[in-house]
Amino acid sequence: MQSLLDFARGPLFRLCFAIMLLGLARILFLDIWAAYKAYKKTADRKMPWKLVLSRSWEWIFPVKRLSNNFQVYSVLSILFHIGLILVPVFLFAHIQLWKESVGISWPSLPYSWAFWLTISTIIFSVSLFMGRLVIKQARALSRKQDYLWLILLLIPFITGFVCANLNISPQSYQFFMLVHILSGELIFILIPFSKIAHCVLAPLSQVVSALAWKFPPETDDDICTTLNKKGAPV
Amino acid sequence: MRTNKISDEERKKAFKSIKKPEVIEKQKLSVRYHVEDFDVNDRPRRFLEAFAAILKHSNYRMALDHYSRVVSRCSLCATTCQIYQATGDPEDIPCRRSELLLNIYRRHFTLGGLLKGRITGSDYITDERIQEMADSFWNCTACRRCVLECPMGVDHGLITHLGRYILSEIGMAPRALVVSTREQLEGTSRNTSAVPVPALKDTLEFLEDDMFEEKNVKIKFPLDVENSDYVFFPAVSDFLMEAETLMGIAAVFTATGDSWTIGTGYFDGINYGLFYSDRILERVIKNVDGETKRLKGEKVLIGECGHASRTAKSFMPVFCGGEKALPVVSILEYTHKAWKEGRIKLDSNIVKEKVAYHDPCNFARNRWVVNQPREVLKSFCNNYVEMTPSGENNICCGGGGGTVSIDEIRPYRTTIGGKLKAEQIKKSGCEILVAPCANCKKQLRELVEDQGINCQVVGLHDLIYKAIIFDDSLVVKKEELSLDKKNETGEEEV
Repeated sequence: MQSLLDFARGPLFRLCFAIMLLGLARILFLDIWAAYKAYKKTADRKMPWKLVLSRSWEWIFPVKRLSNNFQVYSVLSILFHIGLILVPVFLFAHIQLWKESVGISWPSLPYSWAFWLTISTIIFSVSLFMGRLVIKQARALSRKQDYLWLILLLIPFITGFVCANLNISPQSYQFFMLVHILSGELIFILIPFSKIAHCVLAPLSQVVSALAWKFPPETDDDICTTLNKKGAPV
Repeated sequence: MRTNKISDEERKKAFKSIKKPEVIEKQKLSVRYHVEDFDVNDRPRRFLEAFAAILKHSNYRMALDHYSRVVSRCSLCATTCQIYQATGDPEDIPCRRSELLLNIYRRHFTLGGLLKGRITGSDYITDERIQEMADSFWNCTACRRCVLECPMGVDHGLITHLGRYILSEIGMAPRALVVSTREQLEGTSRNTSAVPVPALKDTLEFLEDDMFEEKNVKIKFPLDVENSDYVFFPAVSDFLMEAETLMGIAAVFTATGDSWTIGTGYFDGINYGLFYSDRILERVIKNVDGETKRLKGEKVLIGECGHASRTAKSFMPVFCGGEKALPVVSILEYTHKAWKEGRIKLDSNIVKEKVAYHDPCNFARNRWVVNQPREVLKSFCNNYVEMTPSGENNICCGGGGGTVSIDEIRPYRTTIGGKLKAEQIKKSGCEILVAPCANCKKQLRELVEDQGINCQVVGLHDLIYKAIIFDDSLVVKKEELSLDKKNETGEEEV
């Protein structure tokens, strides 16, 4: 079990983390490249930056969302995201691992914060799952992966909480830790290939949308020629 | 603001099709709007061909790739969509509507989708899916309010626009829009209402006489005056239906003394391309550009019309030379500026009724024109009330996206599309609703009529016309008037 744990914590982690990083870099590059090409193609280069930045900002720090018309769902979602981002990145134990292996470290969350954030993330994740099941419009839209993601994200949080806070036997600890690491690694691999790619792409959405309305000029002829419609009435 | 679902009876009324069964059978298309005869054979293939051609020559692929990757189906858009709130049909959730097209894009135009499709044998485009899109994309009023609510920043309005564009390339576009556009681009009148130039001149002369009688001021509609500061393009329907709006605009220009003109070569600001085709959009906008240049005008001035203003403002630089494109000004901006500079004066004792302002989506959604008309209105309407939500987050009149021009779907527009707006109007208790948009005005008038709301719908300049105070130097004195009359009589005798 120990050797399996070491493998998961060592080479497998590095592989999965690299897949995530490279995958995210790939889609980020593709997105920016496509935006650059679109920008080159359009004649109107004046972007509404004020609007774009203000709307992007509103969604990166969605304080305004607390007063929207789907309040409970929005608040749950925001709190869920806070725990989801803060705990894995700023947990003392995780930072220690980085320090030991790569030699870099950064400030960590106080224990009590990490404790309550983990609990809240678990509760909010379950709530969002229930929300998808119960709220009519959410149920109508949800795909299998939307439910599965919430379950998958729960696993490392629950197992991590068990390992860090419960007094369990060493064998059980190793088991929970293995599940914790493997589930985390599965998430890493899936991130660039699933909707979770929004973690890097969503901040660009407003730019993409603004640019998308800037159509390239003189396409009438090209499209008519391609569709063999030249000279056809409107 | 929320609303309740429509009753079964209202649903029946709203979705009643007036198309003949044999037409539906022939066209294999049971949507409520009329379309011209089109080739029904091999629709999926032709749809994909049109989709591919558009992708090849446009920037849509960038947006579709991005949206496909980030879309999370959180359902927040459903909470702001007035159509979904009224019908409660999952098909009307903006994200679901967008997925109709995104699914086809992924399946047929991305490597992952092609592989998945081959393996699972699913998600192929079919006649039924095209039918579903043809229905769904024209149920939407393209108000783009859902855009504000999407945490992922997906512009469902853009996807609906693209969907309509592709469908139009295979002949599936509302006949009302296509026929008007054909007249505008290929007809002799060169406008969507087929108003001939002599009729335009007669109408304007008649209005000038009317204004002189009412105000004792020589208010003119200058025609074909070269080198003017502004070349004016209203929604052409204003010449037929919104005389007071035009009179108000002419009055403002008389008061400010700025030079403006209407070109008889092309005088229609309407651009249905925004609703169903980028190709049309470009051709129409180039006509506006061409006429302004013919008259050596400095700026393009668009009348009280949301979509005409947005198309000119946003797409003049896109299609007519980028930074070198002619500047575009909305009449709302112009009047506000003139009022702020003290060049027009308004009497605050004229309009006594309770007045509210409706934001046309195409002005407000991108925060372009929001406060300007309000400031003007508040300066002379003592009983002004605000409707909430408003501004950027306004509620659509229910006839946006070109749907207002499709008369056969009026029951849908006034029962479902405008349901939330009707409740908002009722709640505000306004007696006059100011809507500076030809489309909004038509829809809101039909809405208040069908919903039995006692409220008058007018344009901003209708009220300005009533309240404007002219400088004494502009008012023709009685002595001058009698002198003028004598001269006229003398000339006639000669």
